[in-house]
Amino acid sequence: MKLTKKIFLCAATIAAVTVFSATQADQLDTVIKRGVLNCGVVLDFPPMGYFDKENKPAGFDVDYCNDLAGALGVKAEILNLTWGDRIPSLVSGKTDVVVGSTSDTLERAKSVGFSYPYFVFKFQVFSKKGTGINTFDDLKKFKVGAALGTTYETEYLAYAKKHGWGTDNYTSFKSENDAYLGLFQGKVDAIISTNTNIATKLQTQEFKDYVAGPFVPDYDDVVGLIAKRSEVAWIDYLNLFLIHQIRDGKMNERYNKHFGSEVPADLIKTLRDNK
Amino acid sequence: MEYEFHWNIVFQKMPQLLNGAFVTLHVSVLSMLIGIAIAVLLAIAKMSDYKLFSLPATLWVEIARNTPALFQIYMAYFGLGAFGIHLSPYVAVLSALVFVNAGYLTETFRGGFMSIPRTQYSASRSLGMNSVQVYRYIILPQMFRRIYHPMTNQFVWSILMSSLGILVGMDELSGETQRLQSLSFRTLEFFMVAAVMYFLITKLVLFSASLVSQKLFKGDL
Amino acid sequence: MGSSFFTPLSWNDSGFILTGVLNTVTISLVAIIIGTLLGLAIGFIRAEVSRFSNMLLGGVLDVLRSVPLIIQLILFSTYIGAIGHPLDPFVSGSIVLSLYTMAFMSEVFRGGFESVQRSMITAGRSLGMSYWQTVAYIRLPIGLRTVFPSWLGVALSVIKDSALVSVIGYMELLRTSEQLISRTQQPLEILIGVGLFYFIISYPLSLYGKYVERKMSI
Repeated sequence: MKLTKKIFLCAATIAAVTVFSATQADQLDTVIKRGVLNCGVVLDFPPMGYFDKENKPAGFDVDYCNDLAGALGVKAEILNLTWGDRIPSLVSGKTDVVVGSTSDTLERAKSVGFSYPYFVFKFQVFSKKGTGINTFDDLKKFKVGAALGTTYETEYLAYAKKHGWGTDNYTSFKSENDAYLGLFQGKVDAIISTNTNIATKLQTQEFKDYVAGPFVPDYDDVVGLIAKRSEVAWIDYLNLFLIHQIRDGKMNERYNKHFGSEVPADLIKTLRDNK
Repeated sequence: MEYEFHWNIVFQKMPQLLNGAFVTLHVSVLSMLIGIAIAVLLAIAKMSDYKLFSLPATLWVEIARNTPALFQIYMAYFGLGAFGIHLSPYVAVLSALVFVNAGYLTETFRGGFMSIPRTQYSASRSLGMNSVQVYRYIILPQMFRRIYHPMTNQFVWSILMSSLGILVGMDELSGETQRLQSLSFRTLEFFMVAAVMYFLITKLVLFSASLVSQKLFKGDL
Repeated sequence: MGSSFFTPLSWNDSGFILTGVLNTVTISLVAIIIGTLLGLAIGFIRAEVSRFSNMLLGGVLDVLRSVPLIIQLILFSTYIGAIGHPLDPFVSGSIVLSLYTMAFMSEVFRGGFESVQRSMITAGRSLGMSYWQTVAYIRLPIGLRTVFPSWLGVALSVIKDSALVSVIGYMELLRTSEQLISRTQQPLEILIGVGLFYFIISYPLSLYGKYVERKMSI
């Protein structure tokens, strides 16, 4: 009787300890133990993320995933996401972190944990040469498109609403690529995208007759890495990682590789100021 | 489970969701009406003895029935775009749904028509009815009874498939849900509400269909 | 680096496309097989049990049939992860697609089972057959004989609906081709290829279904 009681007590303690320690293992431990970092990237957003001609993931964000995995001493597994997939992938545990140019809005921060900013974009108009879009207000007269659920879509729609343009000449696209394809095919006269993506598109044969237009007025798109909101220690690690990317010169190296120039001082300054 | 549900944001956005639901209903009703009209013509063409008519009709029906709706929507949107034909997301989804509905309904109509024995025609004629009367009072009422149920199913199918509008950025229920969830990142909440809305819409359609059938067929279907 | 964002379709891509094709075939087969087995069981139960339990079961199946597949896929894969069991897109896709298939298959089989006349079963019982013998020798063979064309119809629609599993990240044919479209900006060629693939699989089978149906009705 005594013995069975003891065994039972032992078993209960072990079970309790296991359960307890299981809840204690946070994301950081999980990733290190697993040996693999599941890193979500939006791969239709060059030069941040895209597929190279071997259909392999490449880009600034992909390099950041690899740098992060390197720092953690694990292997990076890149998962291709659309803009809309980013949160589901985190919530569902498919990804540990999303390096996916996620604008750090206060609304989103209610649902998901943001790191310090790691990049700043400008939103810009992109259209065929000679379309005649000189100021942002000229857009009123044209068919405009953007990717669904992005911050630039929200910004454009808010601007259009404020100026009473209505949304009749606005088209949403499922993804960034679809928006460019739509512009290329002539479904819309202009799209709103980021300055970085536009700059890379301008270097291609397909878009040589196109031109980068005005910026969305008064808006800097500050973006961070995202992770599960509850994983505070993990987000702390991500923050320190981002600081090190700048401090150790990795950011400059990556920027150089994908944008062909040194990181602008004001970008570094914005990143430092924001944190 | 560590996921905390935030429902208040969904309630705040309810008007947009309802608006999306309205677009869903709108596009599926329209796709049915146009689909039925085209299917009648296709069914007649398919039963014709002239290859000139029957061949294109057969081609339409077989392509519509043997390729995914998702493919057809892409084709209507980006495929036609390559020819410089630019449909808005709404029109692209509408035409894809019309294309499929017409394809399936053609077979339904043809089957319904064939199921009525030829002898009834000659019998009615011999009773002194003219051709129009035979169709009006004998053939079409029986045929309508047989195709009514498959037609309702096709309608429900259209409602469900209009959700593919999400893939061309359309502002129907799924697309609107996708937009709202990417702005607030409340995926589960928004999609759960969308699922309930789809369920209610299809039930509403089936319920009205059964009411109509009771009126029309006095219940004996 | 710049011009490498857009590169035309090349022979290098054939392996990539083939993976997409194989994935489409795999997930369709998995869903058809599991969906058929489950549908057979549920269809049988529905033809057998009392009204009340039938209503409960019917309610669940009804939800599966009345919510768009795309929403079911997103909800399931997000939910299963949110409760701490993230699944591979293939696994969650297979589960949802199989259950969806089951919902339609169960109706097909139920119709088949209900078409077997009660008097035949009573006759079997009076000849000394046990309950399960009537199932094995009367209900299954007679009930299943008539449903083949409808079964094939559901199976074909599953092949086509498997394209939707792309939304949760499974690299099936349509998602593969979408990625190629992004890179090549040649939507027309790629889409026509995709359409042809589905047509080539689906059309002969649908012809066969029609042939069987015609033979049966004679």
